[in-house]
Amino acid sequence: MDQGWGIRGDSVTCLAVVALSLAIALPASSQDVYDLLLKGGHVIDPKNKRNERLDIAISGGKVRKVARGIPTAHGRRVVDLSDYYVTPGLIDIHAHFNSEGDAHSLNPDHNALRNGVTTAVDAGSSGWKTFEQFKRKVIDHSKTRILAWVNIVGPGMAGGKIENDPAQMDSEAAASVALKYPQIIVGIKTAHFQPATWEAVDRAVKAAELSKTIVMVDFQNKPGRGYRELILEHMRPGDIHTHVYARGIPQLDAQKKVQSYMLEARRRGVLFDVGHGAGSLWFRIAVPAIQQGFLPDTLSTDLHKRSIMLPRSTMNNVMSKFLAMGLTLDQVIERSTINPAKAIRRPELGSIEEGGAADIAVLEVRKGQFAFLDSGHAKLTADKEIRCVLTVRNGEVVWDSEGLSRTDWRDAGPYSNFK
Amino acid sequence: MKLIAAVMIALSATAGVALCQARYDLLLKRGHVIDPANQIDGVMDVAIAAGKIARVAADIPAAEAKKVVDAIGLFVTPGLIDLHAHVFGYSGSIFPDDTALTACTTTVVDAGGSGWRTFDEMQKRIIKPSSTRVLALINIVGHGMIGGKYEDDVTDMDSAKTAAKIIENRAEIVGIKTAHFGGSGWTAIDRAIEAGKIAKVPIMVDDKIFTNTGRTSREKLMDKMRPGDMHTHVFNDRQLEVIDRFTGKLQPYVTEARKRGVLFDLGHGAGSFLWPVATKAMAQGFAPDTISTDLHSSSIMTVESDMPNCISKMMCLGMKLQDAILRSTVNPAKAISKFPEMGTLSAGQIADVAVFTSRTGVFAYKDAWAKKMLGTQKLECVLTVRNGQTVYDRDARTFPEWTKAGAYEVIP
Repeated sequence: MDQGWGIRGDSVTCLAVVALSLAIALPASSQDVYDLLLKGGHVIDPKNKRNERLDIAISGGKVRKVARGIPTAHGRRVVDLSDYYVTPGLIDIHAHFNSEGDAHSLNPDHNALRNGVTTAVDAGSSGWKTFEQFKRKVIDHSKTRILAWVNIVGPGMAGGKIENDPAQMDSEAAASVALKYPQIIVGIKTAHFQPATWEAVDRAVKAAELSKTIVMVDFQNKPGRGYRELILEHMRPGDIHTHVYARGIPQLDAQKKVQSYMLEARRRGVLFDVGHGAGSLWFRIAVPAIQQGFLPDTLSTDLHKRSIMLPRSTMNNVMSKFLAMGLTLDQVIERSTINPAKAIRRPELGSIEEGGAADIAVLEVRKGQFAFLDSGHAKLTADKEIRCVLTVRNGEVVWDSEGLSRTDWRDAGPYSNFK
Repeated sequence: MKLIAAVMIALSATAGVALCQARYDLLLKRGHVIDPANQIDGVMDVAIAAGKIARVAADIPAAEAKKVVDAIGLFVTPGLIDLHAHVFGYSGSIFPDDTALTACTTTVVDAGGSGWRTFDEMQKRIIKPSSTRVLALINIVGHGMIGGKYEDDVTDMDSAKTAAKIIENRAEIVGIKTAHFGGSGWTAIDRAIEAGKIAKVPIMVDDKIFTNTGRTSREKLMDKMRPGDMHTHVFNDRQLEVIDRFTGKLQPYVTEARKRGVLFDLGHGAGSFLWPVATKAMAQGFAPDTISTDLHSSSIMTVESDMPNCISKMMCLGMKLQDAILRSTVNPAKAISKFPEMGTLSAGQIADVAVFTSRTGVFAYKDAWAKKMLGTQKLECVLTVRNGQTVYDRDARTFPEWTKAGAYEVIP
């Protein structure tokens, strides 16, 4: 156990070397010293058309500089990312994180941040009656930036009886909550509505009109209430249909050809979101659609207590599944950053901007043999997977699975909890 | 007719003629089985039927099972038991299924989130809706682990009411927790022990020994705690002076306390695993009796204290996998008097099974100060069976390729 002394000796030598190198390379101005310097990663920032090795300097929670060759000595903490991709913090526009008010929701931080998701949009787990409780109990305490689609149903996702009851759907009340919290509420959600009428969709659209927001629609195709009519007539440009590759949505004809009205709706400006979930991503639908060039506008998880288990709809898995189905890495990143940011009308969140919030995801594309399940529990094999290894939220390293930003314990000097 | 034809096709597609003889629902074939309770440490097959372990043997014919998983190169062990988790009450508590089951942990013991006043709510909100088996050490504080003011309030530490709640709920409450007591003196520990005596259950201690508490490690371990009581946070030198601060030697009273039957639990958490303490203790042969996570919203992030990571960290310090599995299955089951119905792969027991891969490479393991130690092996959970059901299957081993699944519905 004399090891301890040897270690201390090493760390003293090490410190001396560091001090010496600092003295030599000390930056001219203290403004050039950054809290965190992410060095040499392959930056993919679709909005700014960055797709090359760049350094990112972060201070005071903000990105200060994105450039080549920022000197190592300018960072208080320097992280070598030469083996990794660096992207804007990922955005999941369909998640369920009302963990204190909704039986199906998950705790946000460990599920979002460990996947590189720095902004998650809760998709209607709270309604206009319960949003404030959700804000107070979850949103205000989360490290993840949580935004919300507020449910047109007052109590939110409170079960079939309530969610099927048009008396719970008040456009004015929903709009007024959305107008009161414009920083958090991005729009109105309608979901799970069984009766073959248009009340739920139309009231959600009305609430969106009143609050100048958009709607996210979870839809069940029924005789007399068709999907074609939904996307061509009821939804407006900018509104989002989630669960685009679900069973029960007639995206494909009997020959598995993408229906012409899908393309027509896309031309109108209707957006199509994945919303993987426990029931809404089927390889037998998504693969032919993608082969015909019908890609989703946004990737999202619909993460909740069931979808996280077997189909494992975490953000990294959703991205890996779409990579395996033929999207390029750039297309996957675009659909997890700038596309969702634009869709929810927060374009500043989906890119890396000097002066902007330092929300960054560091991703590894691992090579090997992998397999993923869809919502029907069928398997897709793959030779790559995407894993988030480090997440920066508001300038702070909140996830670092490889310990890239961490000191070896032997170099840390003696430490103890005892006071 | 159509229906019968469809059923016939489905039958022949699944398992051919063998289905009528399929005795087992799931067969894990040729994995490296580690089942310390039965002295198994070698390549074996594990067959599961009707939610129970049906048979563990060298060669069980694949034709006897509806579903067969090739487990070559994987480790197969009893589902892990996490003796110290937080799923209720505590502000950082997290729902168990997405954190425990995905980490091969089929049983978690909530360490003091609820007290006698709040256990019923925990039962309703967490225990019943979880697929994970959730047990509880209830807090000696009636309100549970809800913050300093409450946890320091000795007037809410009622031994009789705590014991009564345990006696009413023996299946789920396995002992008593005392934690975070900020006052001086022994009231919290004494009341917990008193309740433990009435209800005949052990206590788990989380307790600081700063000089202003008037408490010392030696008194706690030698005079207060009973055989079978557990001290958690064993490698946190603010709680236990396992290592002499000046000489770096293992304290003799820790060895003596162990001889008396006091148990030492890892309880990794966000603050309780320090490389400077753990390396010295392990090098002197002092390993925790039970490996546990103290998993909550903070410890799951930077320090990643889930069960496979805790095991990997112990392996970095020289513990053999077989020994680590013992301390994550049999030992915690015994500590809460749930052995042998938990913690083994014995035929007839509930089928809670963990399947791991061990990756080779360079991996960073972080302690409570977020300082890293590099290791060359990493244990990762790939499949979890709870109550005979596959609840987590990272690499989709138990399911068919989508291109060969026909017009598939949700595949069970």
